Amino acid sequence: MRQNVLRPGLLVDINDLPLNRVEDLPEGGLRIGALARMSDVAQAAGVVQRFPVISQALLLGASAQLRNMASMGGNLCQRVRCSYFRDATSPCNKRDPGSGCAALDGFNRGHAILGTSDKCIATHPSDVAVALVAMDAVVHTRGPADDRAIPIEEFFLLPGDTPEREHPLEHGELIVAIEVPATPTARLSIYLKFRDRESYEFALVSVAAAVRIQDGAIADVRLALGGVGTKPWRARRAEASLVGKLAGEASFAEAAGQELAAAKPRPLNAFKVELAQRAIIRALMTLTNGDTR
Amino acid sequence: MIGKPLRRVEDLPLLLGTGRFAADISLPGQAHLRVVRSPVPHGMLRGVDGRKALSMPGVIGVWSAADLDLGPIGFRMVAFPGMLPYRQPVLAAERVRYVGEPVAIVLADDPYRAEDAADLVELDIESLPPVLDQLQEPAQFDDQNDTEALLHEDGYGDVGAAFAAAPHVVELTVTVGRHTGVPLECRGALADYRPGAGTLDFYGAAKVPHQNRLLLAGLLGLPPQLVVLREAHVGGGFGVRGEVYPEDVLVCWASRLLGRPVKWIEDRNEHLLAANHSRDQVHRIRAAVLADGYITAIDDEFWLDQGAYVRTHAAAVPTLTASMLPGPYQIPAYRVRGHVRLTNKTPAGTYRAPGRYEGTFARERLIDAVASSLGKPAMEIRLSNFISPDQMPYARPMSALGTDLEYDSGDYALLVGKAQARFGLAELEHGLAARRALGEAVGMGCAFFVEKSGLGPYEAVRISVDQSGHIDIITGAGSMGQGFETVITQICAQELGVRPETIRVLHGQTDQIEHAMGAFASRLTVMAGSATLIAAQALREKALAAAARMLEASPRDLELSDGAVRVAGDPDTGISLAQISEALRPDQAARWGLEPSLTADGWHTTDHMCYPYGLHIAVVRVDAGTGQVIAERLLVAYDVGRAVNPMLVEGQIVGGAAQGLGGALLEEFRYDDAGHPQCTTFMDYLLPTRAEMPPVDVLITEDAPSPRNPLGVKGAGEGGTTAMGAAIAAAIDAALGVPLGVKELPVHPEAALRLAKAARRESTSEPGGA
Ligand SMILES: Cc1cc2nc3c(=O)[nH]c(=O)nc-3n(C[C@H](O)[C@H](O)[C@H](O)COP(=O)(O)OP(=O)(O)OC[C@H]3O[C@@H](n4cnc5c(N)ncnc54)[C@H](O)[C@@H]3O)c2cc1C
Ligand code: SF4
Repeated sequence: MRQNVLRPGLLVDINDLPLNRVEDLPEGGLRIGALARMSDVAQAAGVVQRFPVISQALLLGASAQLRNMASMGGNLCQRVRCSYFRDATSPCNKRDPGSGCAALDGFNRGHAILGTSDKCIATHPSDVAVALVAMDAVVHTRGPADDRAIPIEEFFLLPGDTPEREHPLEHGELIVAIEVPATPTARLSIYLKFRDRESYEFALVSVAAAVRIQDGAIADVRLALGGVGTKPWRARRAEASLVGKLAGEASFAEAAGQELAAAKPRPLNAFKVELAQRAIIRALMTLTNGDTR
Repeated sequence: MIGKPLRRVEDLPLLLGTGRFAADISLPGQAHLRVVRSPVPHGMLRGVDGRKALSMPGVIGVWSAADLDLGPIGFRMVAFPGMLPYRQPVLAAERVRYVGEPVAIVLADDPYRAEDAADLVELDIESLPPVLDQLQEPAQFDDQNDTEALLHEDGYGDVGAAFAAAPHVVELTVTVGRHTGVPLECRGALADYRPGAGTLDFYGAAKVPHQNRLLLAGLLGLPPQLVVLREAHVGGGFGVRGEVYPEDVLVCWASRLLGRPVKWIEDRNEHLLAANHSRDQVHRIRAAVLADGYITAIDDEFWLDQGAYVRTHAAAVPTLTASMLPGPYQIPAYRVRGHVRLTNKTPAGTYRAPGRYEGTFARERLIDAVASSLGKPAMEIRLSNFISPDQMPYARPMSALGTDLEYDSGDYALLVGKAQARFGLAELEHGLAARRALGEAVGMGCAFFVEKSGLGPYEAVRISVDQSGHIDIITGAGSMGQGFETVITQICAQELGVRPETIRVLHGQTDQIEHAMGAFASRLTVMAGSATLIAAQALREKALAAAARMLEASPRDLELSDGAVRVAGDPDTGISLAQISEALRPDQAARWGLEPSLTADGWHTTDHMCYPYGLHIAVVRVDAGTGQVIAERLLVAYDVGRAVNPMLVEGQIVGGAAQGLGGALLEEFRYDDAGHPQCTTFMDYLLPTRAEMPPVDVLITEDAPSPRNPLGVKGAGEGGTTAMGAAIAAAIDAALGVPLGVKELPVHPEAALRLAKAARRESTSEPGGA
């Protein structure tokens, strides 16, 4: 609003709604209220113990002050950091549908290489959403008509021809909670974030990863990428490639290569293709007690 | 007292939360000003329509260039007549030249309403293609001038002959990116013109209030004495804060127009668009080198991206770059050509170690290049080219900031030796080599530099003691948080033998003292410090003269200690400074044939600067997977001549080093191909945080006191920054094993990764091995 990107006619303060709890579900899942603060979620015992990846993703996002204020629902719905989107004088299909996309040939070092369209290449900025996508979370909403449960991968829309639409929320519909199903694999999970500066900075590439190894082979694996996709990117191809394989640098590298094969880099963000592969390998190596450097 | 790490005397109000910064100051009836800025980098301004804004509640008015009768903003520092056409107008009239350029102002009864209304001012601008690269051939600036505002040529000796005779020529092109000082407090100004009285009070001044008074009074056509600039607390300066900018003139103009106070407080977004940028130089530099590594000549050509206008610093940065580039080395022949080119970016000015950060990067990279082409250690090349102590004072036939360039004192090799011993550099390098052997990309880099400080021509101080013995020290120079009050207090306390608590330092108020230069160029401890010493000596003489009358003794038999005058050897006779002050009433003073009041003035004037010097050492690790450069340690050895307060010198150095590291690894104002600034918030303009900043080991030496001032001091404000870029670059090279890999600052992870890959290719294609 400050930058004239949005000019709402009416603002509703939802902060008094009783939606700020973080509850442990009976089977070992979580229910996170939409208004729970990022810092509270990051510190909740159930999150730290059973879903370290979610806690880490939160703690590596924004700054301590922002985390104390920012809500989980707000984090999922935060707008993109594309500088043209935020500069009200540049063409931008997301802000002003049909006006064009200044980032296509502009300064796009931070932009996406996966899930892009010729209408918009902005990266989804959230960290915790990447962890939630890896954990198959479900977004619970309440609208004027009914309540909905939206699998989180469907909650984030690809830009396609309508980049102005980022999620399927209808007018008057509110996120009330995010549920994370019990995921034993999540106990061995990690969130790695690469950026230009160590704090108070969005990801160039991030990885949410979890693995379960049985008899040396990968029994279950979750991989999602941040900083590279127009939505928090579940790396399904890499996951499929890994299941049943022996854990090791070779299989990790092959899986990473398969996932990034679909990348559409631009000259300024081409480095992300390789950085993302290395990040995936490093995350998995770290989890499987391989070399961490 | 001098030489002691006295705690900062200025901190109490800050700790108690009673500091008053520009935004804290308000006056009854004040209006709030908001600047309407150009959204495009270059274009013809066809119209400004403020009708919608005027219809908003609380809006007092909208004004644009057509309403103003003010000339462009003048120069404060070294200028050449050819630069005059490039001065910045207070508001753009026919053409806008950068995103952020002031085009109109809105005044309202509340800052939020002013901001909302400013958004409704409609600008009709016909866009023109922008110029964004200083290397591009000069384009048209206006009907008469092209975009090369200055070609600065300087040098001495027979460069041609030296190159013709040289067995080795080493050549290099290097770049320092666009970044600047980002004080925590943004700018702010509150102007109060009083109709009738005809006076103008200006709050929010900093750095150089007296000089700015002259500039502002001249622009507004007011007598300087009726214009009073007042400095409040200042949250950092770094060269950027405290110059006269369009906004400063606009609040004064608007206050006079409305006959009421007008306030403007800058937000961060504006600051990154509107306050001076800096650096952004490309150097093509060559050295003529003898077989033993002695450099007989340097030939440098550089291109400086000045942004859209030439502001108050005029030619200060290019001339400093040129004159200080040879640094600590003899260099018998030198030629430099500096192109100051205008582009459609925010105008540039000085930033901590202006011209030296860039020039030192170019020169020290050149030294590294010479070393690698001769296969010798870089430090050996440095040592064999240093100006030696017996050559001091060493005159280079050039000028710097209007003074003859003559180094006052220095023993550079001694400092290198002391740093090697104190920091254990040999063992450190040993440890790094062992880590490299295990596969880590770690390395150490060094860079040596000479700074300049204590720029004249004068600074003045007035000391007065009141009837309670409290002492006021008045100076017109500014304080921007560097510890100025503490240093001045220490010097005065030592000379008068009084407790620091009895002293208050008043600064930056143009109505308290007639003359002052200000706080820049690492000059205050040298200039105002010396003036304080001289004033304190005069005050002591006066106290002794008065006490002599009171004690009926000869002044020669008296001594001043612990704030009291005594007959030497007779501790019971003490008369306090308070009693003397009381006694020096006009009537009694007249009877004694003395000037009334226990006050004294002191001046320090000089035609020369003093030249401190230092060695910067960086230890970095490069993450071979991501290209991230992690600074593990920074080491700084610095000869300051004499440290009035070593703790403050160290603080200056550590802070300066953080800024040097920022420019080397993170900070950069990027523009896209259309000329739109990409770094207008702290999310995009990356300052180093606690996480990026390693511990800094500081060695302060006092081996080369300056003969040019009574204290022997040299400045310490910039020496933490100067060579940090060069040292970090050398360290990255060493970590990756690519000689002269880094030629461009800042080093982004992509660049480090490219270098790492190049290094791997090199090592795998190397024949032999097993
Ligand atoms: C400088 C800075 C750095 C940051 N760095 C990071 C980072 O590194 N990683 C990261 O993940 N995030 C980062 N953030 C984002 C920050 O975490 C988000 O700003 C924050 O999560 C938004 O939360 P909020 O509660 O303030 O949301 P708001 O700003 O209040 O809301 C954001 C949007 O969501 C909508 N909304 C909010 N709640 C609901 C709901 N319950 N139902 C439906 N819609 C809703 C609002 O209407 C609004 O459109 C950064 C932000 C800043 C300013
Ligand atoms: S990338 Fe998306 S957000 Fe950015 S300018 Fe293009 S359309 Fe707008």
